[in-house]
This record gives sequence, structure tokens and C-alpha cells, in this order.
Amino acid sequence: MKTVIGILFTLLIILSCSKEDSFVLDNDSNPEIPFFIPTDFPALNTTVKDNRPTKYGVELGEKLFNEKRFSGNNTISCASCHNPSLAFSDGKMQAIGIEGRVGLRNTPPLQNLAFMKFYNWDGNILELEKQPLVPIITHEEMNSSILEVIRKIGDDSDYKDLFQKAFGEGGITPDRIYRSIAQYEYTLISANSKYDRVKRNEGERFTAEEERGYTTFKTKCASCHGTELFTDQSFRNVGFPMNPNPEEAGRGRVTGRQADQMAFRVPSLRNAAYTAPYGSFGQFPTLRSVLDYFDKGVLDAENLDSILKENGNRIPLTEQEKLAIIAFIGTLSDPTFIGK
Amino acid sequence: MKKNAIKLLMISLVMISCSKNEDVANSVNLHFNNTFKNTTIVLGGLDSPVATTNTSADGQVHQFSELKYVISNIRLVKADGSEIPYNVNDLDKGATVVNQAKLSSLDYMLADIPVGEYKQIKFGLGIKPGLNTLDQFRFPVFYATAEANDTEMMWQWATGYRFAKMEGFYENDHKKFTIHTGSTLNGKPGQPDTYVQGVDAYRDITLDLDTRLVVGGNKPQITIKADFDKLFSGKNKISINAKYATAPQQHEGMEVMVEYVNNLGGDDKEDRAGMFSIEKVEN
Repeated sequence: MKTVIGILFTLLIILSCSKEDSFVLDNDSNPEIPFFIPTDFPALNTTVKDNRPTKYGVELGEKLFNEKRFSGNNTISCASCHNPSLAFSDGKMQAIGIEGRVGLRNTPPLQNLAFMKFYNWDGNILELEKQPLVPIITHEEMNSSILEVIRKIGDDSDYKDLFQKAFGEGGITPDRIYRSIAQYEYTLISANSKYDRVKRNEGERFTAEEERGYTTFKTKCASCHGTELFTDQSFRNVGFPMNPNPEEAGRGRVTGRQADQMAFRVPSLRNAAYTAPYGSFGQFPTLRSVLDYFDKGVLDAENLDSILKENGNRIPLTEQEKLAIIAFIGTLSDPTFIGK
Repeated sequence: MKKNAIKLLMISLVMISCSKNEDVANSVNLHFNNTFKNTTIVLGGLDSPVATTNTSADGQVHQFSELKYVISNIRLVKADGSEIPYNVNDLDKGATVVNQAKLSSLDYMLADIPVGEYKQIKFGLGIKPGLNTLDQFRFPVFYATAEANDTEMMWQWATGYRFAKMEGFYENDHKKFTIHTGSTLNGKPGQPDTYVQGVDAYRDITLDLDTRLVVGGNKPQITIKADFDKLFSGKNKISINAKYATAPQQHEGMEVMVEYVNNLGGDDKEDRAGMFSIEKVEN
């Protein structure tokens, strides 16, 4: 009798355990991908540890990233705007969704996201897993819904197989879609530019022009474009020409603070040579036009960034300095990342 | 002997289950009367001859073409102070979009409310933090209600719902205004310490039932008045101009929106009624 009760208890425990949805990583059949953290990069976003990239999680995420059935009329995928050959940006002023609909802002490039604390130009997303839903449901982007997506891909045997390999029993769920896409995006690390190789003393050297540019950069740009990500991840109103769309309030839309009106996340300059046009809605066609604008003077605002205010609302730059800075920014291009 | 015992048990079981249907619970209807002061609002387009007009404290004439808001987190408080929550964590079963253009949406039936006397009703204007994500998987019914083209009660970019939507025209030349409210709070469901960097537009409402609600034999109804005169003329007296006509947009963002939110739903501190009051309780 006691044995029967014992067996029953064991069964109950097994049953209750198996009911839990948390998927225990099986390192043999679906190993974690070793995380390569480049020298001097900032700490990982704390959510990465709860969603470590795995072999099949990333494979699934990449497949979903290129899945056109995410959009209402099956015409665009994540990769349509986040084009790998442009450092996952799209070369357009503002993002173009289904049926040619124009979005509010410039498509942000995707790189080194595992090290970012804020996502999107206004930083409204703090966990990458929460981002994939936004384009899926936004009218100007994919104009679909997560259940519609699951309906469309649910019978696909390749997907069934991959979801099983990546997450175990339990099929296709919204959460697993978000997690696998985030896992794939966490692996998009760019740290093999000429700048990195020079830093790592791998035998390469800056040209004289690049070296001059780096010197100017450190005094006139690095207070915002700091750290090895070339952004300090702060939000600043730098007095750029304003988006005429009344929906736009910059980070003010998120925080409700007057100080955040028309403030945007400082963009990383890594691979900037591939990510034109620039500005929150693509106001600037070239890097040169951005530098000219800063030199000439920016729009005034009550909450204009204090560094600009202290310098008469401008960053004075000579012709030589501009050319040298652009040459230096060129050393942040990582050809091994492009088209990844 | 054994057979008799089983029979007895069966009979008592049947009795218990029967009595449960007839005496233990009943439904309560919430009826929403959306007004300007004491006049029920009639919506209307640009030159509508029937639309109800209202004059704000600042003397601005205005009218609504669209009027919607979300009610959730409903709780009824018994005479002894105990609180009966009504599907407070299930948007499909416990939340609704009140839409002045849709007659059926002005009534919301609460099912299976325990028998007894009630002295208070509490509910949320909007959706409390933690539940306010566009989670179609968990709450497909509410998601569909909010997504419907004639409703559009979503902020996709913030992956949250719109809490209130008021659109219409003001002054003699009928300038358009568009006032939307919603939260941008971020964080993990149910963990308030993780809520960061956002505006909380959810407001918890508490209304006393001077005539007590009696749940028993009949199907009682509570008529809740929502006086939209308060939108511009509540605690905050708001003069509509370009800046205040497109909240939370027009580069002024959420600060303006919060003034409207506090007028409609109170400040979550001293004022827990905002525009709401109990018009009548019919037992």
C-alpha cells in the first residue's frame, strides 16, 4: 500500500513538473550558442540571460525574420526593412510597410542589440522580446496580428520541426516566436571593423586622415557617441529638423516628460556608412549633410541638449575636420557583418 | 443501506446544485449614461443638426463625433466591506469598451454576482498596469473588440490599449479635436517595482451606492453617469487650442494628456470619481 502511494506521489510530481511551460535547455540536442562579448563592450542587457540564444532558437528566429507571411498580404518580412546588406536598415527615409504605407520613422539598423538597454528611437521597448509584435500589428508596417501569423505558419512542417527542436513540446506560441526572433537578433554582433582591428593591435593602422578624424571625434562627437557601441544610449534633443507628423513627440511620447520632447536615442555610428539616410525620419541624405547641419547651427528648443546650448546651438567644424571625421566613421564599417 | 446512502447523497447534491442557480448568485447590469452635465450625449459629424453641444468653463462650444472608453477591473463591495472582484484579471470576461455610437455597448452585464447587499462599486477607467499589453493570445475577445475598425482602441507602438478616445469639433468654425488617452508604462506583469519610464493613465474609480444594490431575486441595474462636461471643465479647466486639441500629440505629448486623464478619472489620490457618479440603482 505504501509503495502504491509512493508511486502515486511520484507520478503526481512528474505530472505537475511536465505541466510547467518553462523549457529546460537540453545542451546536447539544442546547445547554447557561446556568446562572444567584444572587448570593452558594455554589459549585456539583463534579459539576455533569460533568453540565451541556442542553435535551433537562432535558426528558427532567422527563418521567422525572413518570413513574409508575417504581413497581412504576405509581401514583407522583418528583413524587408532590416536588410542585412545595409546593416539591417533599409536605405529609405522612413520605413515602408505593406501597400507602400509610410511609417513614422527611419528604420533603425540592428546590431549589437544584446548590449542595448533601450530599443527604438524613443526607447519605448526595454526587452527585445517585446519588440517583434509592434511591426506585426502596426497599420503602416505589417498590418497583421500574432494569431493570424500563427494560423498562416501553423501547418508548415518545417516550422513545427524547428519549434520542437528549439523549445520542445508545446507547438507554436506567440512567446516562442518573440523569443526566437530576439535570440537571432542577439547574435547580430558587429565588432570586426578596421577600428576594432586597430584597437586590438592586429597589425592594421589608421591612415593619417582617419587618425586626425579620430582625434576630432573624441573632442567633438564622443560625449554622445561614446563607448565601444558609439552611442551612450542617452536620449537627446539635438535640434534636428522636426518630423511634420503630429504623432511625433520623440521620447516625450513615452515618458511624458517635457524634457524628453523630441529627444531621440543617440544612434550608434558603427556601420554608419551603410545606414543612410540619417535622422529620426531620414532628414539627412549623407553623413556630410549631418555634419554641415551641426556646424551651421541647430533648431533651438527649451530642452535642447546642454552640450549644444553651451556651444551656441552648434558644433563648429572646419572643412578638414568634416572630411577627417567621415574618414574615421568609415573605419567603423564591418564588412564581415554586412550581408550576414 | 449502502444504496440508500448513495441516493441520499445524490439528492442532496442535486439540491445543492439547484440552490446554487437560484439563490446564490444573480446578474447585475451596469448601464452607462454618457452626458454633458445632465443631457445624454448625441454624437454627430461636422455639421450635424442633432449633435449635443456643450459649453466649457472657458466658454468654448464643443461637440463629440466619437466617444469611447474602456472599463475594467470591476469590483462590488458588500455592506460588510468584503470585495467581490469580477474577472479582474481576465480582459475577455471582465473588461468592455463603452462606445457611444453602439447602443449595446452602453450596457455591461455582470454574471453570477453573489447574493447580498452592496454599498460600493469600484472599477478602472482604462486597464491596470501589467494587463495592458496587446496580448491577442490570452484575451482574443477583448483584443478583437478593441481592434475592430469602428473602435481602434489600440496604441500599437506602445503595445497597449487606448483607454479613452474623444473626437469632435469646437468653436463656431468647427475646428477638429482629437483626444486619446492610454498608458506607456513598461514592466513585467504584476511587478510594480519593474514599471518604469512611462505614463500611467489608468484610474481607479470608487463610487458609493447611496441606494444599496440588492442582488437576489431580481436583476438589478446600476446606472453610472459619465459627465463629459468634465473633459474640459473638471478639476483642470482646459481651453482648447492647437496645443490642447490633439492630445497626446502635437509635440506636447503626455503632459497635456494627463490633465485630461485626471479630469475624466480623477487623480488616483483624493479624487477617485472624476467624471463618474451613480445616477440610480434599480433593484
